Amino acid sequence: MPKLVLKFGNSVLREVTVGQNEVSIGRSPENAIVIDNPAVSHIHARVFNEEGRLMLEDFGSLNGTFVNGQRVKMVTLKAGDSVGIGKHTIVVSESRDLDDPFSGNGKPAVAAPKLNETVMLDTKERRKFLEKVRATGESAQVAPARLKVPTLVVRRGRTDQAEYTLNDKLTVIGRSAMATVKLKGWFAPKAAAQINRRDDQSYYIGAADRVPSVNGQPIAQPTKLAPGDIIDVAGVHLEFMYRD
Amino acid sequence: MQLEYGAQSDTGCVRETNEDSYRAVPEMKLFVLSDGMGGLECGEVASRIATDTVVEHCRKADANGSLPLLGEPLEGVSALTNRLASAVHAANRAVHSTAQETAAGRPMGATVVAVRLSGERMSLVNVGDSRVYCLRGDDLQQLTRDHSFVAEQVRSGQMTHEQAGSSQLQNVLVRALGIDPTVEIDVSEELLLPSDTVLLCSDGLTRELSDAEIRAVLLDHEDAQEAANRLIDLAKQAGGGDNITAIVVRPQAKTLTAWGRIGKWFRS
Repeated sequence: MPKLVLKFGNSVLREVTVGQNEVSIGRSPENAIVIDNPAVSHIHARVFNEEGRLMLEDFGSLNGTFVNGQRVKMVTLKAGDSVGIGKHTIVVSESRDLDDPFSGNGKPAVAAPKLNETVMLDTKERRKFLEKVRATGESAQVAPARLKVPTLVVRRGRTDQAEYTLNDKLTVIGRSAMATVKLKGWFAPKAAAQINRRDDQSYYIGAADRVPSVNGQPIAQPTKLAPGDIIDVAGVHLEFMYRD
Repeated sequence: MQLEYGAQSDTGCVRETNEDSYRAVPEMKLFVLSDGMGGLECGEVASRIATDTVVEHCRKADANGSLPLLGEPLEGVSALTNRLASAVHAANRAVHSTAQETAAGRPMGATVVAVRLSGERMSLVNVGDSRVYCLRGDDLQQLTRDHSFVAEQVRSGQMTHEQAGSSQLQNVLVRALGIDPTVEIDVSEELLLPSDTVLLCSDGLTRELSDAEIRAVLLDHEDAQEAANRLIDLAKQAGGGDNITAIVVRPQAKTLTAWGRIGKWFRS
């Protein structure tokens, strides 16, 4: 049974056997192989079995899928092929895993990858963790809890960046020098609104010179933000989310 | 910005001693309030040590930037905020060691709330059930969480606000200075607008007055000292069951200058 080996540089991050279920590849956590990199589309490509052939299909991704250096839309894969997605490589190999009870014994293949199964970041820490895991002889499939980065993404309006990571306990939205989310324009308020991180790591939006709306509702008091919430204040729309 | 503040503390109508202490240090834009616990003179001593230690630690750090930080350094907050948290760790150690040495094992503790202003940023620390509020426009928000048993019950949904208000267990704190060699501190940063009003107070005020009453007083009085005095008076009229302390801070004085008065006259 064919196997996909996800690599970053020389490190092997993951191995996934392609059974009857297709293996989706992308940045979203729903994918069987998650590659957390901005160059990778949310659902980037898929690999699946079709009449005994192993197929790769690119879902019109922005930055493309490459097989042995050639950009592809849909191709048949063979053992030894190298699939390039962003800075990551997926190498196709024939599984010789003797522990796999289903390999070559004629039984129907089981779906190897479960949804939401594993995540790998190509950050330094994650790689270090993986090395440590491998050194102790444990399976590299045991991934630590995914790092969630609270983020504001600008959906509308004029700001100095397209998105902001909420690193600080206090995040100010406005024209002020202390503002993290810097509003542009002469008539932007110095401090339109503030976001506070509380001790339970939740984020609350509160009014300053303006009363923000969350999902279209003006807030009456500091309001806890949930992923997907749209903050509307001083002419900008900001989506709150957790980046992986 | 011309900072204005007013502060007042009162024994109340029932207690014999005032175990609350406060320090207002406008040149450092630092305001500290503590409510002491423990019989005899212990409460007074504890709250005095707490407020003094916070101020002195910050003062030393202002003079000597390399003064070591006590406690774990915090991420995502300013150096001033880190220092204020460090000052509370210092206060905890001071109260704790005094309790060990003098009180002969008698329980001795204190709450603390402190704010330090720096431009539009306000550093805020809290241990116990003293409170910090912010009035913005006509909206009053409590910026601190009470570290009391009933407040925790309310937060976890085990108790309603009303039940908490009439509970016999209101005095039970789950965190205080001086109880253990280390303490967990709530640390936050707040945006401060020039027109905001910040109130620090002990539970003697909030037991007697509702948030709506406090809000009305802060809105009614342009002068910060008058506002503080009025809060104390109202709390005493309502029973004054405990010591009452209030510090009212305005980053920008609402009192009108001569030009402001002329402008107002023209507008009227």
